[in-house]
Amino acid sequence: MPALGARPTDPHARMPLAAFALAALVLIGLGATGTATAAAEPEFMLVLRDHRFAPAEITVPAGARVRLVVDNQDAAPEEFDSHALNREKVIPGHTKATIYIGPLAPARYEFIGEFNAATAHGAVVAK
Amino acid sequence: MTAIAPAGAARTRRSMGPALAQEIAAAVALAGFAGFASTATADPADYVSTPAVEYGERELEFRYGSASGPGAARTDAGSIALGYGATQWWFTEVYAKLERDGGGSAHFDAFEWENKFQLTDPGEYPVDLGVLVELEVPHDRDEGYELKLGPLLQKDFGLVQVNANAFLKRHYRASEPEVTELLYQWQVKYRWREAFEFGAQGFGDVGKWDDWDAAREQSHIAGPAVFGKLRLGGRQALVWNAGYLFKVSHAAPDHTLRAQVEYEF
Repeated sequence: MPALGARPTDPHARMPLAAFALAALVLIGLGATGTATAAAEPEFMLVLRDHRFAPAEITVPAGARVRLVVDNQDAAPEEFDSHALNREKVIPGHTKATIYIGPLAPARYEFIGEFNAATAHGAVVAK
Repeated sequence: MTAIAPAGAARTRRSMGPALAQEIAAAVALAGFAGFASTATADPADYVSTPAVEYGERELEFRYGSASGPGAARTDAGSIALGYGATQWWFTEVYAKLERDGGGSAHFDAFEWENKFQLTDPGEYPVDLGVLVELEVPHDRDEGYELKLGPLLQKDFGLVQVNANAFLKRHYRASEPEVTELLYQWQVKYRWREAFEFGAQGFGDVGKWDDWDAAREQSHIAGPAVFGKLRLGGRQALVWNAGYLFKVSHAAPDHTLRAQVEYEF
């Protein structure tokens, strides 16, 4: 380790390491986004109407990534919120939103519509 | 339950496309780092950014941090901010920052404009990706302007959430020599209960991005952290996190206490 205040004898000696660290983070992210996943994922539909989800319980395959398409047929926005799934997404009125979940361990994962939690709640069951 | 064949599924609106995201990142980098300069001091009130954006969310945020040593008086920093999820992929927030060095009185330190761009939907790809762009206007005009940008990464492993971010930071029109610094931050948390999660986090500054400081001159801190969210009904919630961080390198503060509270509405 160089002494305090010392500079590397070659000012560029550490550049590859620095560049590698930054590039690795960027490439991990960009590389991940380059992975085509959409075509392989099963898709499940949830309808939100009168501040209630239908179906209120949805079964998905465990161990696989899936897409939930939430169709908000109400005029008001709603937020799909699930601590168990680690997802929060606002869905404006009369729009659809895609929420990616999984791969999930076999279990029941509850979710709510945060803006109308008294009526808007449901669960994803992974089997 | 309705399973839909992907080929026949109607595609819904997704996050900002990678092409647009890359254009924004490139434009900011070119515009900013073409002439920006630097010296950086660690902000004890800093926090670990996450890549997700909540559309329509309004947020009143308070941050506080206190760092002591090595061989220096304690530095306290705090900020108040107002943020807004302007789109499904863009969250913008304006900060007013205060600072107190040693036993002196608190003084206004800087305005900061923070912009977070969500590039992928959470869980859409193996790693969630976003970009953070910050522009700071310090009260001390000798510090010029400060630009910070870099990628935000997140990966979930069941109930364990991992975040890793790296930033380039540079001052512009500062009296000090201009350099671009490389900073990083990370956190790992176990999402035990919504009201209480726990884990660890760390922050670091290695010096000039392409010519790191000697190890003794770098600043690295890490330590335990706690997190939580308290629902207040409707859109309202209190989201909080705090960490007590210890020095990992010679030049880092001996102890740093940091906390952040957000009122979402």
